[in-house]
Amino acid sequence: MAKPNTKEESIELHGDIWKHIQPGEVVLDAQGITKRYPGGVLANDHIDFKVKAGEIHAILGENGAGKTTLMSILFGLLQPDEGQIYVRGLQVRFRSPEDAIKMGIGMVHQHRKLIPAHSVLENILLGHPRSKGVMNQKLAEEEIMALAERYGFEIDPRAKVWQLTEGEKQVVEIVKALYRGAKILILDEPTSALTPLETDRLLESITNMTQDALGVVPFITHKLPVVLAISDEVTILRRGKVVDRLKTAGATEQMLAQRMVGRPVIFDLQKEPMEPGEPVIQVEGLTARNNKGVIALDDVSFTVREGEILGIAGVAGNGQHELAEVLFGLRELEGGRILFTGQDITRASVLDRWKLGMGYTPSERTEVGSIPDFTLVENVAMNYYFDNRYNHRGFLDYKGLRQLTEEIIEEFDVATPGPDVRIRTLSGGNLQKIILGRVLSRQPKLVIANLPAQGLDVGATEFVQRKLLEARAQKAAVILISEDLDEILSLSDWIAPMYEGKIVDMIPAAEAQKDDIGAMIAGIHQEERSS
Amino acid sequence: MTLGGYQIRLQRRTNLPGWKAALISVLAVLFGLGLFSIIFLQAGQDPLEIYKQIFSYAFFNPYGRGLTINRFIFLALASFAFIIPMQAGLWNIGMPGQLYLGALAAFGVVYLFGGKSGELTASGAVVIPLMIIAAMIAGGLYGAIAGFLKGKWNVNEIVVTMMLNFIAFYLVAFMIKDGGPFMNLGGRGESFELPEAARAPMTGGYPITLWFVFILTAVLAALFSRMGLGYQIRAFGKSPMAARYAGVKPFFIAVLVFTLGGAIAGLAGYHYFGAVPGVFKIARTYGYFGDLSFYGVICGLISLGNPIASLVIALLFGGLSIGGRYAQGKLHLPFGVDFALMGMLMISLVAFQFFYNYQILITKKERRLDVAVSD
Repeated sequence: MAKPNTKEESIELHGDIWKHIQPGEVVLDAQGITKRYPGGVLANDHIDFKVKAGEIHAILGENGAGKTTLMSILFGLLQPDEGQIYVRGLQVRFRSPEDAIKMGIGMVHQHRKLIPAHSVLENILLGHPRSKGVMNQKLAEEEIMALAERYGFEIDPRAKVWQLTEGEKQVVEIVKALYRGAKILILDEPTSALTPLETDRLLESITNMTQDALGVVPFITHKLPVVLAISDEVTILRRGKVVDRLKTAGATEQMLAQRMVGRPVIFDLQKEPMEPGEPVIQVEGLTARNNKGVIALDDVSFTVREGEILGIAGVAGNGQHELAEVLFGLRELEGGRILFTGQDITRASVLDRWKLGMGYTPSERTEVGSIPDFTLVENVAMNYYFDNRYNHRGFLDYKGLRQLTEEIIEEFDVATPGPDVRIRTLSGGNLQKIILGRVLSRQPKLVIANLPAQGLDVGATEFVQRKLLEARAQKAAVILISEDLDEILSLSDWIAPMYEGKIVDMIPAAEAQKDDIGAMIAGIHQEERSS
Repeated sequence: MTLGGYQIRLQRRTNLPGWKAALISVLAVLFGLGLFSIIFLQAGQDPLEIYKQIFSYAFFNPYGRGLTINRFIFLALASFAFIIPMQAGLWNIGMPGQLYLGALAAFGVVYLFGGKSGELTASGAVVIPLMIIAAMIAGGLYGAIAGFLKGKWNVNEIVVTMMLNFIAFYLVAFMIKDGGPFMNLGGRGESFELPEAARAPMTGGYPITLWFVFILTAVLAALFSRMGLGYQIRAFGKSPMAARYAGVKPFFIAVLVFTLGGAIAGLAGYHYFGAVPGVFKIARTYGYFGDLSFYGVICGLISLGNPIASLVIALLFGGLSIGGRYAQGKLHLPFGVDFALMGMLMISLVAFQFFYNYQILITKKERRLDVAVSD
């Protein structure tokens, strides 16, 4: 057990701990970090790792490998059961993130924790010690701009956060952490929501930061190539343990993935050539508004046939989400119509769409795709309570549903103690497997997969993608919405880049170029055309 | 927290078997009774003697037991009226209004059959079922207003049901007070008395409405644990967005649960004014029964929406309200002590629900041997 905090160790007294720092010096040293969760899960098992000033130290691991637990401990959100943390040789015990921030540790979460209605400046100042009394906003703004300029960030302090792209929001979070004096910056999956262009820019800025003797710790799951290109050292976690620690120079993507998953990973998916069949879904002139009442989907038309995957590429917030909801009857249409196997379903209810053979796996897996307090069986029932095979004169056949759930667990290789636990106990990857397994078990004629692999680890991603290809092989039409261009390119037959609610182009997979699509979803082609 | 070499920690429970939940509730009741003893002791009374008086009158004295059962039926129905919307994540605070409407409708049937004069124009076998049906329809429709507004325009159901209570309260006053159509000819500010033939039959010394409670318990238990419709209600209650995605229709669910809840509250109104021996009229103090129906909220919340568990709680509070009043009179206890005791038990039951989610772990520091002391 860590020694209790004594007066001498009080964090306040060491405000100047970051003076005279040398590049290469160990600034954060975690030793033997162990964390047990109720139910006996060992999330962190004696993890040791060191961060040096001026270095980028990546941490790789699948979902459930213990990354989240580790960073929560380093940021003071959780207290370790065993182990010590030293910051510049001084033993610390964080009771809350407040303590961690005081010691110069900053964190940028994967899910943005900004207030959308406030300006960038207000968000950066929120929680800053100086914002307690009267503060000089003008001075603060100047300081923030200077800070941003030093590391090559472009920010507009007056803009409202809701107007920003995901990439810009991330920059705001980083600047916020730096402005609070972070010397060690923990980034949770820093590139997962960014366009290729934004990613490049971010990586450049991160490299700039290390010149200033900042330690940077990105936690990554599956975007191996981008961050590995710039990191100096990698620590790989698996099942709560450190399985490897190596210099990045000389490491290959293949090798890292294998260490991380514990078995070889095939990056090339087997995509059988398919002869496209009858049209399954035809949409014409779909127009819809988003929750703010702004037109988010603007005159979208396309057709998907049997055995075809249409990949909708785009950066979050360009209408893909509204498209998925409109197709499934969860959002009102402003105009246009939808034909499903020749039948007009523009006004059909969600229930009718399920019954007709449509399936949807939402991107909001815990809010929409599942009911966290329900058991696995009850969650599987979401797609079967209306089905005569499992609903006998109003009574649900829970025995049959339980068996079906067990089959899905088996077929989709879901790690769970059993079908009767609450689904909230499952990790992200396993939850997605249940949702996808549940939807695919209905053998739908159309699958709408909204960000099916987002946030999943290498193993689960590969699995989910393979299942989508299997559905395609069984003559299902698939609409794949993804922000990951590699995923879009490797799975789709047709690629539709979206920008500001419009489909920019419809490209056959054989002719698709990653750079072109990257430019289209960033709106570059659009602007060139209009100018 | 450390205490003499032991470390005391709270830990979240991962699961809770049913028997443990029941045990926690029993302990909560004992704790509440124990705590309230202090007040009795302070007043120079023997708490054991008081509790003996309360429970023996409420559950063993034949006359007291009859009163307890009548209260129990009323509270159980009020709990069901609350539980059904609660399972859909909605709050029915409109039991008083719904039960007033139920009572008015039941008396309206009797009125139409000429019952105000003391003689019915049809036999009781026709009138009594019609009274029950009318009470349930009226309560159901009154509840449906809140469900409709919620489902259509997302109007807050708590505010709507609460306000509808006031309307119903004064509607009853209009109907039964001086000059109202249901006014008692004696002019006592209460409704006419039901003719002999329109009074609910008794089975085994208890009103026939007791059977409704048992049947409804079984129906609701089956609805929520076995049926597709109950599944939809529960899914909507746990996550409206996920339920919508799964094809559940929010408008339908909102209207349905409030109609069902209102209908059962209407039945509770029928029960108290049309089936309880010795009443058989809408009493001058009808507001008291409206307020009493709020105990349905407590029963529903304590039982976490489980209809079978709510029966036990309804019986406990039914008995305490009867036995407490009796003991207060017999032992010359201070005024209101019966309600204070019930309040104490409610707080205790609600506070003990903490242990549904957490358990206390006491670990000896040196040996790190985990001893789970649950509950």
